[in-house]
Amino acid sequence: MTAVAAQFIDPYRDRFATFLAQRHDPDVFIQRRRAAFARFEQLGLPTRQQEAWRLTDLSAPQAIAWHAPSAAPVDAGILPTLDMPTQRLVFVNGRFAPALSRLGELPGQTLVASLGQALRTHPERIEPWLDHVPGLDQHPFAALNGAFWEDGAFIHLPRGTTLDTPIHLVFHASGGDMHLQPRLLLVLEDGAQASVVVEYRGTDRYLDTPLADIELGAGATLHYHQVQEEAPQAFHLGGLRLRQQRDSTAHLHLLGFGSQLARCDLETVLDGTGAHCTLNGLILGRDRQFSAVHVRVNHAQPHGSSEQLFKGVLDSQARAVFDGMIHVSRHAQKTDARQLSRNLLLSRQAQAQANPRLEILADDVKCSHGSSTGFLDPDAEFYLRARGIPAAEARMLLIHAFANDSLDRIQLAPLRERLAGVLAARLALDLIEG
Amino acid sequence: MLEIRNLHVTVEGREILKGIDLSIRPGETHAIMGPNGSGKSTLANVIAGREGYTVTQGEILFDGKNLLDMPAETRACEGLFLAFQYPVEIPGVANLYFLKAAVNAVRKYRGEPAVDAMDFWELVQERMALVKMDESMLKRSVNEGFSGGEKKRNEVFQMAVLQPRFAVLDETDSGLDIDALKVVADGVNALRNPERGFLVITHYQRLLDYIVPDHVHVLVNGKIAHSGGKELALELEEQGYALYNEEPGRARRAAA
Repeated sequence: MTAVAAQFIDPYRDRFATFLAQRHDPDVFIQRRRAAFARFEQLGLPTRQQEAWRLTDLSAPQAIAWHAPSAAPVDAGILPTLDMPTQRLVFVNGRFAPALSRLGELPGQTLVASLGQALRTHPERIEPWLDHVPGLDQHPFAALNGAFWEDGAFIHLPRGTTLDTPIHLVFHASGGDMHLQPRLLLVLEDGAQASVVVEYRGTDRYLDTPLADIELGAGATLHYHQVQEEAPQAFHLGGLRLRQQRDSTAHLHLLGFGSQLARCDLETVLDGTGAHCTLNGLILGRDRQFSAVHVRVNHAQPHGSSEQLFKGVLDSQARAVFDGMIHVSRHAQKTDARQLSRNLLLSRQAQAQANPRLEILADDVKCSHGSSTGFLDPDAEFYLRARGIPAAEARMLLIHAFANDSLDRIQLAPLRERLAGVLAARLALDLIEG
Repeated sequence: MLEIRNLHVTVEGREILKGIDLSIRPGETHAIMGPNGSGKSTLANVIAGREGYTVTQGEILFDGKNLLDMPAETRACEGLFLAFQYPVEIPGVANLYFLKAAVNAVRKYRGEPAVDAMDFWELVQERMALVKMDESMLKRSVNEGFSGGEKKRNEVFQMAVLQPRFAVLDETDSGLDIDALKVVADGVNALRNPERGFLVITHYQRLLDYIVPDHVHVLVNGKIAHSGGKELALELEEQGYALYNEEPGRARRAAA
């Protein structure tokens, strides 16, 4: 282990015993934390010799002495809202902030709560689900989160429950070199339906390594939107794992705009016949931002379908990596899996790298993948200008057209409109500066 | 209104236009005919302001203003229109949105307020009928998935909405069947008036049966080899361009 890696890991080792002693978790959870920490120690910090981390340079966050989170006041006015009724949970520096949150009536046994509080009040409802979703076994920050998570959101919809209003989760960080490890546990039992918006954001410098576990029962439908708008100095290394039962549908939208280094590792398993999953990703990169998406879609059962579209718009010296694996197991006949990565470069210094991969063990499947990276089409730009539209406006129109294809897939209108506004402001700024 | 004087143009160091002189007055329709590679599309692109062409000699004046000093968008705002030989597909930009942006760009240039939504819609409806275009094409992305005929119709439709003072039609007939050709020609003819000028570029005489020009010029090897009235188009149809592939003096004798 290198000195820098040891320098990063040792404080967590020193902190772990005290951390456990102060927890009042039921034994089963303490054991899981120990197991997770053992896993983290075994994995160590990733090095660029490991294929999955070859393109992610962690030397900057590794060299910083991160602190355990502490409370800080936050002005409610800076927190994002959706222009519609929601179940709203706000977390400041990883901890539930009831005064900033707003929960309405919920049907029957439905639970939308702080995971930290629910662990005290309803551990029996968490126990069967937490740490049970497979995936991200090799991800050290997922392991570390498993050891150290303190709070986050727990959403549990019993069989057949439909929530009419979306659930809005806002994670705000106030900097101070804190390491935040929020946890999300999202369980939709058979036939349940929900729409969830998760926002990661903050000010100044911090490290955010959230982990989300999502279980979808038979016939359940989830619309999940993740908006990573972290502070420009922040580091974000998030994990998301998902398991889908028979005939369930997951629509995942992953929007990444912020942080100096952002990475999302997503692993999903279509574990029941006829499960359907769409992954819609959009990255906006500028300055020296680095953004990576590593996706693994596992088709384990027949008649499943998955559709991935990951797009990046990269300006100045921004870099983006898309690494996508579709794995189709021997049983997963009649799988229909598609994957497309498209990047638009707005500067000669911007870079995009796509690594689409297929592993197909079944013989009767439809799988496709593709990637493209390019600059704005000069013919299209000329066509617009030849109709009187000034060059800067023509470029803007074409960039919007490229990105809107992703935003248009978001059904939640208030969120879609807000993101369109973020995009417009961002591009206007880039064009002024550029 | 359009004066081209001794225009020499090179592309990647190769001279394509070798001294073009052309004068078009308001209300006139001129046709330029010529074989492949004669420089027809280069002329259209240089007039419209496309990058990649170097003017080494000569000038183009549009109502006395030096066109070559203006970027493409300014030329369009001044009232110049190019109907593209290959209209570009622009995924993600709806046709109607694009058209409104274009109309407003021109209005802004003239110091006029943005177009009123109802007025714009009425204009669009009226002009759509002119080229027998289906309303569904307004909502679709610009030219995306359009057939060859639909693309050309869309060009004429844009021209009808933008109402330029001078329009260049670059092989608008290519890839059209006879019915589509008639629709497109009817659209163009409806826009002809004593103030508006047209330059119709084509390889084939067929289009000129429907858009009858006042003057016909034969472009061969980067030069205008011959000019005449509309009957010149018919002669070319019978005799082909082979005559002009010889040295200019002989070509003139042969055509005379």
